[in-house]
Parts: sequence; C-alpha cells; structure tokens
Amino acid sequence: MGERVLLVEDDPQLGAQIVEHLRGAGFAPSWWREGRVLAPGELPDVSLVVLDLMLPGTYGLDMLKSLRTFSEVPVLILSARNDTLDKVRALKLGADDYLTKPFWPEELIERVRARLRRPLLQKAGAAVDVGPLRIDFQAQVVWMHGQPVELTRVEFALLAALARRPREAVTRQWLLEHVLDPEREGTERTLDVHVSRLRRKLGARHGVETVWGVGYRLTPGEDA
Amino acid sequence: MKLRLRLALTVAAVSVPMVAGLGYVQHSLRQRNQVEVLEASTLARMQAGERERCEAQPEAWRSWRGGPPRPEPGPGAPDRPPRPEGPGGPRSAGGPGFVTHFAYDGRLESRNPHAPVLPESVRREALEGRTSVVRRTAMRGESQLDVLVRMPWAEGPCAFVLARRLEPRGPPLGGMPPPEVLAIPFLAVLAMVVALGPMVRRVRQLTSEVRASASSRYVAPVQVRGDDEVAELARAFQEARAEIQHQLSQQEAREQALRDFLSNTTHDVMTPLTVLQGHLSTLQQRLRQGEALEPAVVGDAMGEAHYIASLVHNLAAAARLEAGAPRAEFAAVDLNAVIARVLGRHQPIARQQRIALERGVPEAAVWVDGDVTLIEQAVSNIVFNGIHHGREDGHVAVVLEHSREKRFRLRVIDDGPGIPEAERARLMERRFRGNAARTRGLSGQGLGLHITQHVAQVHGWALTLAASEYGGLEVVLEGLSST
Repeated sequence: MGERVLLVEDDPQLGAQIVEHLRGAGFAPSWWREGRVLAPGELPDVSLVVLDLMLPGTYGLDMLKSLRTFSEVPVLILSARNDTLDKVRALKLGADDYLTKPFWPEELIERVRARLRRPLLQKAGAAVDVGPLRIDFQAQVVWMHGQPVELTRVEFALLAALARRPREAVTRQWLLEHVLDPEREGTERTLDVHVSRLRRKLGARHGVETVWGVGYRLTPGEDA
Repeated sequence: MKLRLRLALTVAAVSVPMVAGLGYVQHSLRQRNQVEVLEASTLARMQAGERERCEAQPEAWRSWRGGPPRPEPGPGAPDRPPRPEGPGGPRSAGGPGFVTHFAYDGRLESRNPHAPVLPESVRREALEGRTSVVRRTAMRGESQLDVLVRMPWAEGPCAFVLARRLEPRGPPLGGMPPPEVLAIPFLAVLAMVVALGPMVRRVRQLTSEVRASASSRYVAPVQVRGDDEVAELARAFQEARAEIQHQLSQQEAREQALRDFLSNTTHDVMTPLTVLQGHLSTLQQRLRQGEALEPAVVGDAMGEAHYIASLVHNLAAAARLEAGAPRAEFAAVDLNAVIARVLGRHQPIARQQRIALERGVPEAAVWVDGDVTLIEQAVSNIVFNGIHHGREDGHVAVVLEHSREKRFRLRVIDDGPGIPEAERARLMERRFRGNAARTRGLSGQGLGLHITQHVAQVHGWALTLAASEYGGLEVVLEGLSST
C-alpha cells in the first residue's frame, strides 16, 4: 500500500477521477466530499492533502488555516478560479503548491510525487547515492557498483555538482562558471570534453544525461 | 429651518440683548447724572444767597424748586414735598425736578420740625467726612432720591443740606429704550430678510437645476451666474458633474468591454469545443464498429482540450490586463516554481506530441515582484507555442538564469520551424487588439504572445524573439529579480 493522501473535493465526477488516478499511481487516497474546520486530532494520518478551494460548507482556505495550526502535512491546492489573490493567500496560509483547473491527471500525480519526494532531496549529507553511483563529497571519492572510480579534480567537481541536484538539469552556463576554471578552460567545448571523459570512466550506466538546450543532469537510471 | 428664518432669528438673538444692555447703561448713566446735578445745584443755590436765608430762619427754612410753590402740606404728611403737577410726570432725567431742601447743623440735627430724621447709616457716612451721601427709596408708586450735601462751611444750622427729589416710579432698568434704539433689531431683521431674497431665489434655482441634471444622468449642465459663493457652489457642482460623467462613461466602457469579452469568449471557446466533440464522436464511432482506436485522434482531442484550457486562461488574463491596474495584486513570485508548474501543465501534451520538454533553473529560487497568475500565463504561452509548432521528436527547453546584479533571464528555446525575422518584428509591433489577436491565424501565435508581451510590459520586463541556435525560436524574458 502506498502513501496515504487525503482528497477534499466536492465535485463527484472529478473526485472519483482523482481518486482513481491516485490509486492507479500507487497512493492510498481517502476522499472527503466537503471541507471542515479541523481541530487537532481530526486529520487522518496522511502524507499529503489535496484541497479544493471552492467547497460547500467550509471555504478551502479556512480549512487550510485550521489545519496549519497543528499540522505540517504538505497541502496541494486545487482551484478553478485562476485568481492571484487566492494563490497568494493560500501560499501565505501555508499551502505548499497549487494546481489550476483544468489539469491533466499526470500533472496532478507528478505534483503529488514532487511534494512527497522533497524531504528526501533536502537530506544533504556527506555522501549521496544516485542509482549505482555513490558520491562522497567530503572524501571526494566516487564508487560505481561499489568500485572506486579515479576522477580528476574537474571531473569530480562536475559529477558532484550534478549529484547535488539529482534528476535536475544544471545549465552549461552554471557549470562553466562554477566547475571549470573560467580563466583557463572556460569554453563549452572543454566542458563537453570533461563530460565525455567522465562518462567513459563511469561506464555504461553513468547516468550523466545531456539535456537538450539546457546542460546536463544526473539520473539514477532505469532501475530507480 | 429656512435660511431667511434662521438669519432673522440670529439677528434678533444678537441685537435684542445688545439693545437691552444699551438701555441699562443709559439708565445708570442717567441716574448718576441726576445725583451730580442735584448735588451741584444744591451747592450753587446755597452759595447764591440761600445760606443767609437759612441761617436767619433755620426753623422755618425750606426751599422748593422745579414747580410752582404749593400750599404747606398738611400734618398728615409733614415732610411731603409738593406733588408733581399734571400727567407729565417728572421732567427730563438730568434736570432738578421737584426738589425740596432741608437744612441740618454740623451734628445733623435740624431746627426745622418738618425736616425728616436722617437714618443712622446716612448720618454715619456723612459724619465720616463724605461730601455727599446718596439714598434711593421707593414708596407708594414714587421713587425718592435723597442727597445729603456737606456745605463748604462746617458751622451754623445749615452745615448740611438734604435735597430730596420725588418722582413717579419708572419701570425697572429705566423702562423701554428710546424708539430709535428699539428700531435697530427690527430694521436689521428687515434688511436681512430683504437682502436675502435674491440669494435665496438663486439657491432655489440652483437646487432645481442640480435636481434636473441628476435626473438627466448629469448630462444637463447648471448655469454659473455671478461671482459670489452661490456661483462658486454652481461651479463646484459643474466640476463634480464632469467627474461623475467621466466615471459613468468609463463604467459604461468597462461594461461594454465585459459584454464583448463574454461574447468573444463564448465564440472562441465554442469552436475548439466543437472540434473536441468531433474527435470524441469519431472515437465513439470507431469503438462501436469495433475498429482500433487511432492514437492520432486521441492526441488531437487532447490537444484541443489543452488549447481550450489555455485559451480560457488567456481570455481571463486579457480581461485582467484590459481592466488595468494589475499591480495591485503584485506579490513575491518564485520563478522556479512558476516554471515547474508551466512544464507540469504542458508535459502531458508534449509527451503526446513526442516533444521533449526540459528545464534548467538555478538551485536557489529566483524571486520577482509580480502577479503570479499573469507571469505563469506569459511563460505558459511561450512554452505552449513551442510545443504547438514543434515537430515530432523535437525539443522545447526553459532555462532560467540569475545574475549577481539581480537580473533574471528566462529563455524558452525550441528546434521547431521558427519564425522568419520580418514576421518576428511584425509580431512584436502589432499591438494587442481584441478580435484580430484572438484568432488562431498568424501562425497560431494569436492571443498568447500578445498576452505575454502585455504581461512583460506590466512588469517592466523586456521580451525578445530571436532565432535559436538550434534553428527554432528563442524567446527571452529579462528583468529585475527581488533576490
């Protein structure tokens, strides 16, 4: 059973659809058809709340306000009104993100996943695992499938920069400015050369992807 | 209360106490004058020969003045002087009137048996050395004024002379003021009422003109006559009328814009909705006939739904921008989050069209001051266009860069067909213009790019279109960040 998600949505069709999609994506949704002002202890044990703003009974923002008095659970707001004041107010009251209707089911699932993934990303320790790769930032050592890999200073800096934000594309511009010595070897060509050497040393499952138009990113590979 | 009545009452309220006060002052002056005259005339008489007569016959001396001598009063009223004669009453206030004199010696004893006995308080004051002692008493409808005058000689039976003056009692405080004084308040009230006549008429006329103007939705003007406060009031109303008319016409324009917006929206949304229904109908027919579903039809249907959503967002943004003053809702906006949301919105369609949608943003969030809905729509439109016009297996990338000089640069790059330079310039020159911009024409850039342009302008950002290094289009938004 996946993580528990609370959906608060009054529209029966949309609610049923979202529940179905959440379930399909491996979550365990519970569905409230109306909002209520919550007291501590009234919120079920869930990892995330998907909250519609326009609800019968209690206005979504009131529910959010009451919820925030005792819980830090991530809240994703759904709103049919593409209204700036609503969004600004929701974020001020402690909403984590919002989604404007209409949205694609994939979009919702992706946003729910992103919210639930976030705490893992913030765990910035001395070492990080990305797929078969382990990068130790302090010792400046890299293992591939448990085997240490010899890297030059620039190659390590490059890999470390990508590993600090796995799955996120890092722009070429940023890498040129922060990884290469701008005075000596600051050209995109040099960067590409370093990347291809790094890939060769890491082997077939290096995970260093070229991102079209942006730069590079490190992904955990297919098995992640 | 009416203006004239109010002013008349005010004048009366001010002038009546004033006249009464004047009457009182006049009365007390007259009384003082009476005493002084009585004192001076007594002294003058005595010095002019009465002293000798008095000292020669002190037991019988008594002197009258102010009227013909009257017979000796009877024993019933031994000290009563002759009565004033006739209905005329006392003579003028300052004159001596009907005065009787009695003589007293240095110890205030009189040899004349008719002389009144002096009260103790008068005696005391006189013996203390005063030159004169004054007493007023009222009795039986008459007022009696006694002035005991010390003579310049201290010896003899006529060292003090009592001058007694009797007159019918007047009303308190000297009675009614003279008619010329009494006329003042009446004249003032009258003048006020008469002078206010034309003023009141003009105010009434202005009132009816203002009412008429209001009932004509402030089209009818009011006339400004003269150069006084009433004219000033009329001028002020004219100014207010112009302002109200201005507001009314603005409101009417806004209402017209709203009506246009509603009818345009209906039209704009109905067309793609019809296309969507067509796609769904095709799908249903295929299913019923047991045919395989064509991915292209499903994809088109999704694309159409996506287009409708984007269109409605744009129409709402256009309405907001046309209404003006979006700065009111400015707040801190996280551009990284905006890009994440925009990509999330378009990813399903991009995937469907086999277009890779990528992004590269700084690790730390880039904050700007702005309207989050408008910014999101502006970025969304550029990305939408990139996907919409992209070719299969193409790319669209959003790159956000942030400089130390607190400037951000948001680039949307694609490898689609791009836009020829001449048309790019034309696109940027064309102003935001209702219906023409709403059509799908002009390479389908339509409303979206214009919204983006308008949003950039509202935020003080630069929007540029250029050929991308990958052969497609590169759209750049640049501006100041708040972090």
